[in-house]
Amino acid sequence: MIITRCLLHRAARAIAAVPLLGFALFAQLVPSPAAAADTLNVYSIWPENWARPMFEEFEKATGIKVNFVRFSSGEALARVIAEKNNPRVDVLFGGPVETFAAGINEGLFEPYKPPSFASLPPRFRHADGQWIAIADDPLVFMSNDKFIKENGLKAPASWNDLLAPAYKNMLQMADARTSGTAVTRIFSVLEINGRDENKAFDYMKKLRPNVQLYTKSGGGGTLPVGLGQAGAGIFFIVDALDTKAKGYEVTISFPQEGIGTAAEGIALLKGAKNPALGRKLIDWATSPAMQGLFAKYKINFVPAHPDVALEPSLAAVLKGAKIFPIDADYAGANRKRVVDRWIAEVLNP
Amino acid sequence: MSATGRWAAATMGMRNDPAVAAAVFVLWALLALFVVYPLAMLFVRVLTDHGGFTTAGLAAVLFDRHQLRAFRNSLLLALLVGSAGTVLGFLFAFTAARGRLPRGLLTAIDAAVLLPLVSPPFTTAIAMIFSFGPRGLITYDLLGLKGVTVYGLTSTLFSEVLTFFPIAYLTLRPLLAAIDSNVEGMAFSLGASRWRVFRTVTLPLTIPGLANAFLLLFAASLADFATPLILAGNNFPVLPTQAYLQITGLFDLRGGAALSFALLLPALAVFLLQRYWVSRRYYVTITGKGAGQTPFDSIAPGMRTVLLAACAVVALVVVYFYALLLYASLVVALGANHAFTLQHYRVIFTDGLKAIRDTLIIAGLAMPLGGLYGILLGYLVTKKSFAGRRTMELVSMINYALPGTIVGIAYLIAFNDPPLELTGTALIIIACYIFRYGPTGIRATVALLQQIDKSLEEASQGLGAGSGATFRRVTLPLIMPAFFAGLGVVFIRSMTAISATIFLVSISWTLITVKILENITELSLGPAAAFSVLVVAIVFVVIAIIGRVLRLFRAPGAVPMTSLLGG
Repeated sequence: MIITRCLLHRAARAIAAVPLLGFALFAQLVPSPAAAADTLNVYSIWPENWARPMFEEFEKATGIKVNFVRFSSGEALARVIAEKNNPRVDVLFGGPVETFAAGINEGLFEPYKPPSFASLPPRFRHADGQWIAIADDPLVFMSNDKFIKENGLKAPASWNDLLAPAYKNMLQMADARTSGTAVTRIFSVLEINGRDENKAFDYMKKLRPNVQLYTKSGGGGTLPVGLGQAGAGIFFIVDALDTKAKGYEVTISFPQEGIGTAAEGIALLKGAKNPALGRKLIDWATSPAMQGLFAKYKINFVPAHPDVALEPSLAAVLKGAKIFPIDADYAGANRKRVVDRWIAEVLNP
Repeated sequence: MSATGRWAAATMGMRNDPAVAAAVFVLWALLALFVVYPLAMLFVRVLTDHGGFTTAGLAAVLFDRHQLRAFRNSLLLALLVGSAGTVLGFLFAFTAARGRLPRGLLTAIDAAVLLPLVSPPFTTAIAMIFSFGPRGLITYDLLGLKGVTVYGLTSTLFSEVLTFFPIAYLTLRPLLAAIDSNVEGMAFSLGASRWRVFRTVTLPLTIPGLANAFLLLFAASLADFATPLILAGNNFPVLPTQAYLQITGLFDLRGGAALSFALLLPALAVFLLQRYWVSRRYYVTITGKGAGQTPFDSIAPGMRTVLLAACAVVALVVVYFYALLLYASLVVALGANHAFTLQHYRVIFTDGLKAIRDTLIIAGLAMPLGGLYGILLGYLVTKKSFAGRRTMELVSMINYALPGTIVGIAYLIAFNDPPLELTGTALIIIACYIFRYGPTGIRATVALLQQIDKSLEEASQGLGAGSGATFRRVTLPLIMPAFFAGLGVVFIRSMTAISATIFLVSISWTLITVKILENITELSLGPAAAFSVLVVAIVFVVIAIIGRVLRLFRAPGAVPMTSLLGG
């Protein structure tokens, strides 16, 4: 009895001490706005296993340390918008250019033209330097070998191959509401149909019964295809080659009609706390200094800078493929309308 | 005056006690800062565009026929998850509390039940796809089915029920244990059948608990976005996922926030319904008039076997899912290369070490504060009368009821600018956890206190004990189980939550769950599984410790519920 009472007493005291302890610790947890002179803060849309080696190489080259967190393109943009009045980072790194296009409407970026600006083809740079491309990423078809064999098919070589009944409920591809991959895919379909919207939408509606799932992220369907949970899908080449590298038995193919490609960007944020360092990162990332390192770290992007040669094994995959860029002006002018129509007619018929 | 005395006085106090007033004031200040203020800021953001007031575009989003369908789907899913999860939780709680199981079996059931609760949100969903997809281990390899689809209401429901029913179990088990089985014994000896005793004595006494469990599950399902994100597919959209997509996909923060505010209505409606329904009943079973324990065998032997078998089936499903997870963490690439490796663990203890450290610090701080907040608020709103009591209870539930995405965005907007510049700190994550997951402790405290007769406290005071002493020696031991339930849930959630905190992690503070999500999106199932296994292991250790501590509180006259959390 006495022991119990004693214990209770002690416990009550311990509980009472908790807030004090808490406050003592809070003192340490409140920010010390990590501002060593040579530290740059970045939101990376590229996955950590690609971003980390790039930033380490950057530090080696310039002595500037990069602190970064990785988010999907949508999450990164939502954060940058919410933090607009008091930005937490200096640079938004990687991610499809159309994410950056959405950011321009929100007035997020500080225009900057790095030394490479003039050497880049126009589709790899925003005219005012709101964003600059650091890589190019074509779409591909990726199919599961076992599925193809079991159904007596061949790896799809035409957009129409995907309409085959064998694919019923077995395709996965990205959702246009959330994924730049999907938008690039839809504009590819428009392009091969001579921008005849009705024809393009007829095709997409015909494809709909074969689609098992429209995934939230562009690469969301790669693992299911690798595992055979889905038979095939349309993905960016980086994601597809990554799946293959993990050991999944998949085949990458290209449609004879052609398929689109999308650029990956970088931008300086308006109100950045370390703009000078941010510009240095942009200088480096848009130049052969960074893009020449893609091959070393098995990052299967196509370099945006014309002076960087394509890595041979990647070149072999792309050989003979008909790839066309998506016209930025046309896509920019029609994106919202086309996506809305896709939601209304294809996603929720 | 010692710190203990001061605190006890602050919470106990008599009517018009300045200490109660002070505690109420502090709680209101905290609620205002961490619940009302962020939401108000978000609300302002929804209703303004480029500096001017506007509602333009909101109606189009809110009354779009697909969003209305998503709204209906959300309600349907929450109703089903609430009902099924409460039934399942009751089944387990009843079997555990009344089944006279051997200790070892009890611990095993506890462990299996807690697994889904203590694992990061994506894990069950991923295991579902592995098992029930077109090429799933069960559907294809075992049953040879082809062309099955795993996406939709059924699998979302299945996965959410498995994930959330432990909440019902945790709410109901202490309650059932607290029902004096002498009451049941008396009814039995007066000639009632076991079934009649169950129906007319046990069940009615459990009603506040059932209502609580239903409310918690309903709200949890309504706010859950991780499971539907993976499993709902294209034909069963739900609102939290739609809101998330509106914000992160269509970059429409206003529309997404507006959609989330729509979720507040059903959440509050259920809460009010439950308050009204529960408060009309009388539940006191813990009185001072204690009697010797002459335990009543409330389950017939045949029934006991049936109940145990039902529990075993559910437990086996859970164990199977997690065995799969463990396996995935130990092979090179699940589905492609099944060679054994420890590489994934090496990765998480090198590259992932910072996330592990940060998560432990944050969860370690959120846990005691959240537990304390839970009993303090629960105690005040149940036992003290002050103006705005009901409102306080209602406000304290808001962050729990809202989808995490919205709470996260609201915090980000509210605390990004001076003077309350908390973005990028651990504090913002800790506050988010306390006010988002503390309500479980509040509900547990309220439910337990509703079972305690006022005469106990009155007797103590009548015998000359001061209000502080009464609180310390009578009330505190009685609500300790609720404190530890609250503690446990806040810790578990701090280790596993993602929807709100994905917007609150920063360059200085990151979390394991964010790493898991990242690994899943990068197709690195191995590290994702290894991280999940680690989280489960850590949580189990902490909960075992809580269970040990809880055992110290078996004071005479207090509720014997030593194994509340499987200790």
